[in-house]
Amino acid sequence: MPFEIIPHTADVRMRCSGSSRDALFHDAVLGTVAMMQPTGREGDKGVTRAIAVASPDTTSLLVDLLNEVLAWMHTRREAYTDVVFNEIAPGVLEVHLTGYVAQGFGEDVKAATYHEVEVKENGAGSWGATIVFDI
Amino acid sequence: MFDSHVIHKKGEFLWEIPTSFRAGMRVPADIYASEAMLAGIAHDRSLEQLVNVAMLPGIQKYAIAMPDAHEGYGFPIGGVAAFDRETGVISPGGIGYDINCGVRLLRTSLDRATIKPFLRDLGHAIFDAVPSGVGRTGRLHLTGEDLDQVLARGAERMAELGYAAQDDLLHIESGGVLHEADPSLVSFFAKARGSNQLGTMGAGNHFVEVGYVETIFDEIGAKELGLTLDQVTVLIHTGSRGLGHQVATDYIRIMNRTMAEYGIQVPDRELACAPFSSKDGQSYFKAMAAAANFAWANRQFITYEVRQAFANVFGSLKPTLSLVYDVAHNIAKVEKHRIGDGERELVVHRKGATRAFPGQPVLIPGSMGTASYVLLGQEAALEKSFGSSCHGAGRRMSRTETYRHMQADDLYQELFAQGIIINAGSKRGLVEEAPFAYKDIDEVVNVVHGAGIAKKVARLRPLVVVKG
Repeated sequence: MPFEIIPHTADVRMRCSGSSRDALFHDAVLGTVAMMQPTGREGDKGVTRAIAVASPDTTSLLVDLLNEVLAWMHTRREAYTDVVFNEIAPGVLEVHLTGYVAQGFGEDVKAATYHEVEVKENGAGSWGATIVFDI
Repeated sequence: MFDSHVIHKKGEFLWEIPTSFRAGMRVPADIYASEAMLAGIAHDRSLEQLVNVAMLPGIQKYAIAMPDAHEGYGFPIGGVAAFDRETGVISPGGIGYDINCGVRLLRTSLDRATIKPFLRDLGHAIFDAVPSGVGRTGRLHLTGEDLDQVLARGAERMAELGYAAQDDLLHIESGGVLHEADPSLVSFFAKARGSNQLGTMGAGNHFVEVGYVETIFDEIGAKELGLTLDQVTVLIHTGSRGLGHQVATDYIRIMNRTMAEYGIQVPDRELACAPFSSKDGQSYFKAMAAAANFAWANRQFITYEVRQAFANVFGSLKPTLSLVYDVAHNIAKVEKHRIGDGERELVVHRKGATRAFPGQPVLIPGSMGTASYVLLGQEAALEKSFGSSCHGAGRRMSRTETYRHMQADDLYQELFAQGIIINAGSKRGLVEEAPFAYKDIDEVVNVVHGAGIAKKVARLRPLVVVKG
């Protein structure tokens, strides 16, 4: 997976990338799940979750999406293995998450922050962002 | 690295970045620090963030950084800013994600010699009694109206439920409750995250620490607070857990969307804010108050659990654990302060900063294995810092960097050699909180003492540290 965890004074920083905006968002979601360190699967049943996220710009959309994912992970103990996006209007994403119920998590990632984050298209087929998480 | 040439020395421990430094600064940025500490603070983005805070609408007198300042989100941690109630803003970044993270100090009827043979037992008893670490849930699972009662009434509600001693509420900042709270403004996710977390410590730099009074600097102050040399004490450091974090996340998101409607632009999304008098401003304030009440309820229930642990270990001695004080260090309060020739109601944001009203106990915990301090707020603090002091040692090293410095087993041994027992749920979490990751607490406290903000009363040293 392209995402990378890098040092930050108080919390955790993740650099993620993708060949498109949706690929970047996909990488960021799976990176967030990985940072939470799911400790195993409970039962055989999978989970699917449909959520909608609306934000005024692409950067806010990414952070708001990750916070929505974290909220569901914390409250339902779900770990997601795949995510599909459908932009139903500018800045409005319909998100389909699939995964499983986790036994627990090894890390308490509390929130994705807007600290120094900026979604950038670095050239054709290259999108990137670095997100700081409060833990 | 901030250009230190633009910083003017105003006093032995006071420095200032004037408004002429950058267009848009409405007030100067004041920093309380020694010269050596200032050099350290200038290394990260703290001062840049402080300058940004000085630009926010309605800010009064100065934006302030305390000696433990370090880079945060939007506002620096160790920062204080006050805004006019009518014309100013409220900003979740000026309070922090862990709303009402704070510290509580208990004094016991035991002395160091008495408990020395029982330190390991006591550590185990507290570790068993107070759930800590990632994913650990509490003994009280509250939902619906029961949870709303806690959000509305904080420590008062815990007293009603039988989890407080008679005088506890008298020794908590604001009596352990902000009556402005409105539980209906706390989201489903926030309540879901907090519903099984009452009475839990969390992880990271949160702890329960049994210690003793090592030094008394002010005999009269110590007597007022009931502190004597070698007396055993308990410090509790934790906040509003997942509930408070979700409240902060929710409202930063809302304000990022609605800020433009109020004609506000900020250089950093984490400075998202709304006029205090607006619907969004009031909604956040009331939700923040509810989260603050949850934190006070949390520390109250942990106090109950710690009292039980002491009773289990020292039963026949019937130890008493009395509350000295409980302070919030991530909160916004509406307070009256002198502005010019008159008084005005201000929304005082303290993020990693402690209220220090005259005569009020100020509790400054050091990093694990070092010292903590008890001080008393001084009259001068009202003029110098809106009655505010520092909150701790301040982090200076990333978590990843700590692993390069030391292994957990070596840290256990080093602390044990100092007579400190550690009960930690996570070896990695232990190393991340090693003393070398933080600034020197003695230096930090000496600044606020020297600046006349708060007066040293006692120095505490740890005996048993329990953390997640």
